[in-house]
Amino acid sequence: MLSATEVTFSYGGAGAHERSRAAVRGASIHVGRGSVVGILGPNGSGKTTLLKLLAGVLQPATGAVELDGRNLRTFSRIALARRMAIVPQETHPAFDYTVLEMVLMGRYAHLGPFELERPDDLRIGRECLEATGTASLETRLFHTLSGGEKQRVVIASALAQATDLLLLDEPSSSLDLRYQLEVADLLRRLNRERDATLVLSTHDLNFAASICDSLLLIREGQVLAAGAPRQVLTPGHIRALYGVEADVQEHTRAGHLTVVPVRAADDGHDGDEGHRWVP
Amino acid sequence: MGALTRAERLVAAAAPIRSRVAWAIAGFGAVAVGACVTAPLVGSTPISLTRAWDPSLPFASNVDAQIFFVARLPRVLSAALVGSALAAAGVVFQALLRNPLATPFTLGVSAGAALGAMLAITAGATLVIGPVGTVPLASFLGSLAAVAVVYLLASARHRGFSTNVMLLAGVTLNSFFSALILFLQFFADMTQTMRTVRWLMGDLDVASYGPILAAVPLVLIASVAFAWLARALNLLAIGPEQAEGRGVDVLRAQRVAFVSASLATGAAVSLGGPIGFVGIVVPHLVRLLVGSDHRVLLPAASLFGATFLIGCDLVSRTVMAPLELPVGIVTAVIGGPFFLWLLITRGAGGATR
Amino acid sequence: MKRLFHDVFFCCVVALATMIAAEPPSSARRIVSLVPAVTEMLFAVGAGPQVVGVSSFDREPVQVAALPRVGALLDPDLERILSLRPDMVVAYGTQEDLHRQLARAGIPVFSYKHGGLAGITETIQRVGERTGHVEAANALVRDIEADLTAVRTRVASQPRPKVLLVFGRDPDSLRNVFASGGIGFLHDVLELAGGTNVLSDVRREGLQISVEQILAKRPEVVLELRAEADADLESKTRKVWRTLAAVPAVRDRRVHVMTGSEMVVPGPRIARAAERIARLLHPSVKPVRP
Repeated sequence: MLSATEVTFSYGGAGAHERSRAAVRGASIHVGRGSVVGILGPNGSGKTTLLKLLAGVLQPATGAVELDGRNLRTFSRIALARRMAIVPQETHPAFDYTVLEMVLMGRYAHLGPFELERPDDLRIGRECLEATGTASLETRLFHTLSGGEKQRVVIASALAQATDLLLLDEPSSSLDLRYQLEVADLLRRLNRERDATLVLSTHDLNFAASICDSLLLIREGQVLAAGAPRQVLTPGHIRALYGVEADVQEHTRAGHLTVVPVRAADDGHDGDEGHRWVP
Repeated sequence: MGALTRAERLVAAAAPIRSRVAWAIAGFGAVAVGACVTAPLVGSTPISLTRAWDPSLPFASNVDAQIFFVARLPRVLSAALVGSALAAAGVVFQALLRNPLATPFTLGVSAGAALGAMLAITAGATLVIGPVGTVPLASFLGSLAAVAVVYLLASARHRGFSTNVMLLAGVTLNSFFSALILFLQFFADMTQTMRTVRWLMGDLDVASYGPILAAVPLVLIASVAFAWLARALNLLAIGPEQAEGRGVDVLRAQRVAFVSASLATGAAVSLGGPIGFVGIVVPHLVRLLVGSDHRVLLPAASLFGATFLIGCDLVSRTVMAPLELPVGIVTAVIGGPFFLWLLITRGAGGATR
Repeated sequence: MKRLFHDVFFCCVVALATMIAAEPPSSARRIVSLVPAVTEMLFAVGAGPQVVGVSSFDREPVQVAALPRVGALLDPDLERILSLRPDMVVAYGTQEDLHRQLARAGIPVFSYKHGGLAGITETIQRVGERTGHVEAANALVRDIEADLTAVRTRVASQPRPKVLLVFGRDPDSLRNVFASGGIGFLHDVLELAGGTNVLSDVRREGLQISVEQILAKRPEVVLELRAEADADLESKTRKVWRTLAAVPAVRDRRVHVMTGSEMVVPGPRIARAAERIARLLHPSVKPVRP
């Protein structure tokens, strides 16, 4: 459905001499309809950049991003917004908006230039607040909410955009444990009940393992590995990605793979597959 | 402030957008019209309205009529036009720069206008186009020059329109043009210097309808652009990348916002001089009353801006008669403390970046 | 007794020395003038040859064209002033920094204070004293006062029209009208020439007046002062004022433009200014001197 082929991007302008500092280098990713794809990597690995390239917010210097076989560049802004919604890591509005106003902003792509929201739009907005468990916050001012509540409202706003594709940047990073679970739950439900296709970027291994059915490991702008979590979440890969010795186990109660970091890896063993800590 | 306006806001937020826009326009509009109608009746000179409106008396000898129609009415109308233009431009600039402290003068438009006016005053040349005199024309051209410089600098980067560059360019332009103005004042004689200094304090005593009519089309074009931008401004206020994701053509919206708000500001400053505080006090005050949704905020701020400046002009021409307190000083005296109070009470808990 | 005699003698010597030191030179030989009005006075009392430098705004008399310029009120050029080796510098009273700098350089300063009509003759006398032309100065003062008195008596019995004296305004409209208040030499000249300043109750030399105020004050004559003449200035001015048709001055076609530097310089030609104003205000009265 959504795919990026050999995309490269540098902040500050593309140039041959900049290639060494490119945020994303020759990365390729394929997102199938109805799947939950996670882009996993440490901070600064380029996962947010890749997500923005997929969303069409950034233009790749080389390579192409395609939606349903068409290059993103051929879509108008509004047409693209009707297909994809993006949920950023943090939202800081410059002015005070109520939660209802925030969620209704997701309806932008569905209204004409001088049109005002119709009762239908209002209904959709409220439904999305319901779906994220924030319906009771409707009249509250956005900046008075907690981090978790804010994030859920922003997700509701993205839902109101009524797209089949949802891209989330670090959806769990600013949340505490309880909200992380709630958001993971929510995303799973969205995928199951609404058949939403989700792409999320994260550095949290367990979070990714808990909801993604496909993972892409990225380090320093390059794709390290891609595939099902079982294939991709190996101690070798984790060592290569984070420089950490970790234990990977199937957790029966949680129902998914869990990763337990054990200790920092020694230097010089990057990418070394035959390590004695393999379970 | 907290409890009442919050309750009002909650009610307002729950009400559908249509009725909010309608009520905002009706409410603020009624007050603005009321101000327009009553302000010419009041002044430092007592006049007889029956005489002023008596059609049987020849206009050329009817002092009351001349005071009403030549001295006061144009002032009230230009105050309304300038006030609404500056207030609306203030709202748009604040959204564009995502900063509640932005004013219509932040980006150098008024500095360009001031330089134009100064050049006209000191050069002594005359250049008249239609009803527009030398000083207003020169100041409008000056503001256009400033806008062009800032626009070109902000668009210079291949990746579109940078609001950071725009801000830096505007601030730099302000300093640079102010320095040029001081430089020109060196060569001016006493009367010219006094006239420039006086112009910088704002003056709405236009004494004719020509300049007002000349400014109206500019403000009208800007207003149409504002109406078109209103929803996009809401999304821009959340963040340009988010807005992009929601379907807003951010580049085009930023460009239109910058050009239209600068046009409105340039027209307003050419008509009445750089009257400060209207562009920052009115948006904040109206935001407290109607919320931050620009579809309600823009019409409400425009109408309230008109009322506010009509009121300030009334104070300016009555409080120290026969001397006139420049209207820019009145807006500063009212606006300054209000703004400080705003900062103190809102403080950290308020609009965040 | 001898002790007392010594003390008294000592005191006398000190007093004499102080008096000698405090007295400025009885005639300055090299004068730099930053004040155009005083420059005119210097030339009028015969001290012209003693003037070695003038301000950037000096125009009169014609001899100043050849003299070096040293700046003016806002931008006096200390280096140029010093390079001319003056023994007296005429500066504005408000130029305090310059006063201090010249005092440090040991150069006496003639401090000019802008005043009313009486201030002009007073300044001329001071100029005479400081330049050694006391006789000429007194004679000039006598002439000026005689001329002024002649004007005053001539119009004494005439009705005094209400006059608005305008210093400046926007070139093509009635915006930013600057007019004379009840203080200053122009106000004094106006009153002497047989007119009543409509703004005489405002204790300021210059103020901006709004259109409503102009209509309310109902001046019978409007006098606009301009430094330089311009093509069809009169007709352009009348056209601009026509928007206020109810003002008596406009209705009765008594809006006049007066050009010429004697109108704005409080110097020796002030009597001529008074004469011109009197003629405009009272056209029916024949002047005694042509």
